[in-house]
Amino acid sequence: MKAFARAYARNKGAVAGAMVVVLVGLVAALAGWLFPFSPWDMQGAPFRPPGDTDFLLGSDSLGRDVAAGIAYGARVSLLIGGVSTAVALLLGVTLGAVAGYAGGVLDDVTMRFTEFFQTVPSFVLAIVLVAIFSPSLGSIVVAIAIVSWPPVTRVIRAEFLSLRSREFVQAAHVLGHSHTTIVFREILPNALAPLIVLASLMVANAILLESGLSFLGLGDPNLMSWGFMIGAGRSVIRLAWWMSVFPGLAIFLTVLALNLIGEGLGDALNPRLAHRR
Amino acid sequence: MAPARLARLLAQRVVKIVAVVLAIAVTNFLLIHAAPGDPASVIAGESGAADPQLMAQLRAQFGLDQPLTTQLALYLNHVLHGDLGTSFRQGRPVAELILERLPATLLLTLTAFLFAIVTGITLGAMAAQRVGRIADSVITVLALGFYATPLFWVGLMLVLLFSVWLNWLPSFGMNTIAAGYTGWVAIADIGQHLILPALTLGLFYMAIYARLTRASMLEVASQDFVRTARAKGVPEGRILRRHVLRNALLPVVTFAGIQAGQLIGGSILVETVFAWPGIGRLAFDALLARDYQVLLGVFLCTSVLVVLFNLLTDLLYVMIDPRVQTP
Amino acid sequence: MSLLSVEDLTIALPPGGDRAQAVSNISFAVDPGEVLCIVGESGSGKSVTAAAIMGLLPRTLRGERGRILFEGRDLLALSNNAMRALRGAHLGMIFQEPMTALNPLMRVGDQVAEVLAVHGVGGAKGRVPELLAAVSLPDPARLARVYPHLLSGGQRQRVMIAMALALEPALLIADEPTTALDVTTQMQILRLIKDIQLRRGAGVLFITHDFGVVAEIADGVAVMQEGRIVEAGRAAQVLNAPQHPYTRALIAAVPHRVAEPAQAIGGPVLEVVGVRKTYRRGGGLFGGGTPVHAVADADFVLRKGETLGLVGESGSGKSTLARCVVRLVQPDAGAIRFHDTDLARLDRRAWKPFRRRIQMVFQDPFASLNPRRRVSEIIADGPIAHGTPRTEALRRVRELLDLVQLDPGAAERFPHEFSGGQRQRIGIARALAMQPELLIADEPVSALDVSVQAQVLDLLETLRQRLGLTMLFITHDLRVAAQICGRVAVMQHGRIVEQGETAQVFAAPRHPYTRSLLDSIPGRGWTPVEG
Repeated sequence: MKAFARAYARNKGAVAGAMVVVLVGLVAALAGWLFPFSPWDMQGAPFRPPGDTDFLLGSDSLGRDVAAGIAYGARVSLLIGGVSTAVALLLGVTLGAVAGYAGGVLDDVTMRFTEFFQTVPSFVLAIVLVAIFSPSLGSIVVAIAIVSWPPVTRVIRAEFLSLRSREFVQAAHVLGHSHTTIVFREILPNALAPLIVLASLMVANAILLESGLSFLGLGDPNLMSWGFMIGAGRSVIRLAWWMSVFPGLAIFLTVLALNLIGEGLGDALNPRLAHRR
Repeated sequence: MAPARLARLLAQRVVKIVAVVLAIAVTNFLLIHAAPGDPASVIAGESGAADPQLMAQLRAQFGLDQPLTTQLALYLNHVLHGDLGTSFRQGRPVAELILERLPATLLLTLTAFLFAIVTGITLGAMAAQRVGRIADSVITVLALGFYATPLFWVGLMLVLLFSVWLNWLPSFGMNTIAAGYTGWVAIADIGQHLILPALTLGLFYMAIYARLTRASMLEVASQDFVRTARAKGVPEGRILRRHVLRNALLPVVTFAGIQAGQLIGGSILVETVFAWPGIGRLAFDALLARDYQVLLGVFLCTSVLVVLFNLLTDLLYVMIDPRVQTP
Repeated sequence: MSLLSVEDLTIALPPGGDRAQAVSNISFAVDPGEVLCIVGESGSGKSVTAAAIMGLLPRTLRGERGRILFEGRDLLALSNNAMRALRGAHLGMIFQEPMTALNPLMRVGDQVAEVLAVHGVGGAKGRVPELLAAVSLPDPARLARVYPHLLSGGQRQRVMIAMALALEPALLIADEPTTALDVTTQMQILRLIKDIQLRRGAGVLFITHDFGVVAEIADGVAVMQEGRIVEAGRAAQVLNAPQHPYTRALIAAVPHRVAEPAQAIGGPVLEVVGVRKTYRRGGGLFGGGTPVHAVADADFVLRKGETLGLVGESGSGKSTLARCVVRLVQPDAGAIRFHDTDLARLDRRAWKPFRRRIQMVFQDPFASLNPRRRVSEIIADGPIAHGTPRTEALRRVRELLDLVQLDPGAAERFPHEFSGGQRQRIGIARALAMQPELLIADEPVSALDVSVQAQVLDLLETLRQRLGLTMLFITHDLRVAAQICGRVAVMQHGRIVEQGETAQVFAAPRHPYTRSLLDSIPGRGWTPVEG
């Protein structure tokens, strides 16, 4: 664990990424204290540029505080990114483990199913799902999870396939261990490294997907989100560039930080490849 | 490569395509049923008369009183004949609407794809060749940056920079409608309108291909056969071209195939930002109007496009990798 | 003047490793027409030496001191370009792993022609079939047009040799060129190298870990240990009258005794009758594919207290057969009688009680222990799963570690903290924790260095006698089989072609395949001296 922390700390970008994510988390947690009002409420004159005494990052066409929107939007982004990734991991790991461990027909069927979901354009499917089941926190999380699980299944299946024939797993069979013991004690712990890396990239991707959905007007109508703010600022970009620039920067920094964390985790978990970067 | 091998592969893929398209059509059918309000009540609602008798008549007309399996068979039969239903907002067949918009989307996505793959591979290869040096760092940071930026925001920023502040390029539509250009001028006009949207869509995928190419080339460079080439006295430039690059491109090709779906998804966002008159814009308008028939038609159509694109990359893969087994 | 003369060469390792230098102050010379073998165990610096001569050192290593004189020129002082011009033309090299040494996307002929082309020799394409024919590849014209994945390991190594020798280099460097090959293929390649060297009078620098190979091919020998040459001389002298203690220990570790058939053999423990296993290669969801007969009608009897060796080359089915016995593979037909029970008929649950009585030791010490579990857990897990109370199972771990001659402190550590030999001992302790009566050992020493190999073999033999084990010992190495097995069964293409007492089979083989296997033992005419 210590060696892992040291290896991770050697990657400067990854450390910076972790700091940014912690910062975004703090802003999200303290949004209600920093901005003790609803981000939907008018707080002053519309179209105030950033740096204005009332508005650090300017105000929008209805006089709402852009900074407050970003703080509350951080909640939505992190929540949806985290929960949808968790759901996708649960689904992907289960299917991948079954396919990789059982093999045979079960594997074939699972993989055809996974291929189908990888063929369908994921963003279009997400749009269709959210539109049909009407936009809400739940439908957005489910839609993102549904389009995000196939890579997990592929990675876990490949790991299981290769670990299944590894000698220490065969030894476990020869010792008379049950399938459950073999899957959960022998194989799964050894398949986690690529999964952890993948998970951080999936959170990043989920945040991008969510922003795309809410940009198109498919966000939860009760929650302020970064994508929605950019969408709202789009038509008045000639008048108020700050309305779309700042929420975009928030997305960019968060997603970049998560990617850097993913790279750092990958290096730390796979020291053999680290020196090549 | 042997024509027989190619033919076998094609036959095998056609079976697969049919299966996938069928699965997509069934999914589509299920989604239509999940959508709020069936066509009968929608039309009835439009005409302002929720007369039960009219409703029943409409239901019978649309086959909605049949069992679900019969409806599915009916639907598949329609799809097979190119009938994707009717847009109740525009009162026109969905297939017609899509076909009308398809060329614009294809122009946009193919341009973006070509741009992404050519610059992505070039930048990735350059970075791998100069690993650890400044050029590598610059390319890596750039790629990571574009990878982390939402497409639509890149689009807006490009508009802000090139249209609003610099006033170099148009930010809206596919051509200057009022100008009534013809011939080469019209083509140049479309080209001008194409630059920003294609760049927006392409930059993100360029980042992906650059990262992938770089990683793949570094991986291949450490393999035994590269050492063999060196032991033969092959010059470094030739090693890079003939041994490293070709092998490194295999995973890029595979990935490009998988990414095709995302590219078409991304075009919805880009077309929305730039008011590009393609099927993405059509989907967005359908979304606003809750015109589910059109939305699902776009879903079906983009899925089929992805399948076809995958077929192309599969064939490409078979041509460059002699190891691919065909049954 | 020597063809190649390495003088006082020192190559530094990057700081922070377990030693400062990869090779330290080594000197040796290769004359035209001479085969010099550099022998050493893994990590001795022998491959680094070869890479240094070729100018192919990884960037992290650098020559610190010394000279490498080739035909009078110091290679370390040459520019990259001048060095490149020498490689392939005047210095040829072949490597250990033929499966990955060729570019998978380039036709074999094009790869051979490339050597000629980059060194400015015209008509490259036309000369390829002749070059391939010179290394005894069949149908060279057709072979030149195929891609490497269609060739076997031995064929690929021949292509490598054809490439290395295309421009008739004065020096050929061979870095463990036969280690990845089966024994019969190894002998063919050794003969080919020797033959070409004799015909062309080239010098050969041959890197190996195997004294049998040295005895087969070497004129001169240099023995390396931890980056230094500890002994050098003519082959006959070093092999038969080694001076340095390390050389003596290495040679003594080469298995060379022939085991006596075990005394006082009891009744049958295991009877394998007509066991068959067929795989289908290729094919998809709806069957098809070509059948591969991994095991075809195998019969043998294993009696209490004896060790039966299952011998064969890769793909002969020996491992599949062993895995059928422990139900890692489900046999298609036949009976596997353990005392009075036919194991082949039992389901997973009914099998479980027999897990205590039949255990297995695996080949790869780096893959056979779960990297995420402590040694104590690895050893105690088995008994716990069979109802032994946890505290008792953990208490026994110390006894078992002692039994396999490991420090009891090892219990709380993780597998990656141990060397290959130590891990193999942990694997043996894991099997013995179940107190089995039948032990199946699947190539238990083939991944180990010679000296470690000898220790593990000794340990297995001691344990067998002390605990009264019956052993099924799978190996591809006939020397190892001769040393530890009272009886052997020789497998080829899934069939047992010959079985009998080891001494008898070795002295008077009846089946032609057994004969060719025995003829392929490198350095067969040489008997290692006792240490």
